[in-house]
Amino acid sequence: MKKIFKIIGISFVLIFGMSTYLSSHHAFTAEFDPNAPINITGKVVKVEWINPHAWVHVEVKEGGKTTVWMVEGGTPNTLIRNGINKKTITPGTVIVVRGYQSKGKLCLPRCIANGRDVTFPDGRKVFMGSSGTGAPRDGSDPRERR
Amino acid sequence: MTFFSRGISKLSLLTLLLFIIFPSFSAEEDHSEIHDLMAHLLDPAAEAIWDSAGFVITEEGEFSLEPKNQEEWDKVLYGAKVISESAFLLSRPEISKNRKDWIAVSGLLKVVGDKAFEAAERQDVEELFKVGADLYQVCVACHQTYMTD
Repeated sequence: MKKIFKIIGISFVLIFGMSTYLSSHHAFTAEFDPNAPINITGKVVKVEWINPHAWVHVEVKEGGKTTVWMVEGGTPNTLIRNGINKKTITPGTVIVVRGYQSKGKLCLPRCIANGRDVTFPDGRKVFMGSSGTGAPRDGSDPRERR
Repeated sequence: MTFFSRGISKLSLLTLLLFIIFPSFSAEEDHSEIHDLMAHLLDPAAEAIWDSAGFVITEEGEFSLEPKNQEEWDKVLYGAKVISESAFLLSRPEISKNRKDWIAVSGLLKVVGDKAFEAAERQDVEELFKVGADLYQVCVACHQTYMTD
């Protein structure tokens, strides 16, 4: 009987695994964990202004260890509309990003997060994500209907 | 029959049973053609557009992603044409199931694909960057309606 339960369990995992893969490509939940919020504070070392998502690389120094987080943002156009452009987010700028970690939280092969909002040295906080991606309704997106 | 092969037989049987018991899982199979079309045709074509325009800024300076030779531009042209022609594939009745919204969004793919093709022909990187954003909006519009978690 134990064997049968084991087999049923494996079957469920196979079926759920397959259906999740087939249906969630590109969605927030395919890559990021809504239950793993994260705050990243560090120096911008690289910004990729590319479609469909801009990427901000943030160097975090903690306990003598340096880690570079790749933070996914919205489309470059969305960021520009929100007041983030290549002059406001430059290498060397210290920012605080609030977002969610990727599902693989071990930073292998690299640390990846989805950014929701970014706070600049002058205290300005700006939404840096995309609307309608399935990200949690956490109040970051001003376009969210409440 | 070994224990292992008996286990595999039982596993196959139970997997089959679960697919029968829970038809919603097997319904995913109905969309496999769409999945394959997206994963193997549209995604790579869209990546060709997105990867060909934009820039990367580091402490060393700013670097453009624009194609550097005709061979690289040809890849963008190919991607743009694939996107444009995919509109017809997605509009086929067996895929569209005559859903008006689906057909309308497929039509938008034709529009952005053609724009991307024209921009690539002119080797206009700025326009290609703008079209890349439009392309993403079309993707999102469709995914929000038809791709549910």
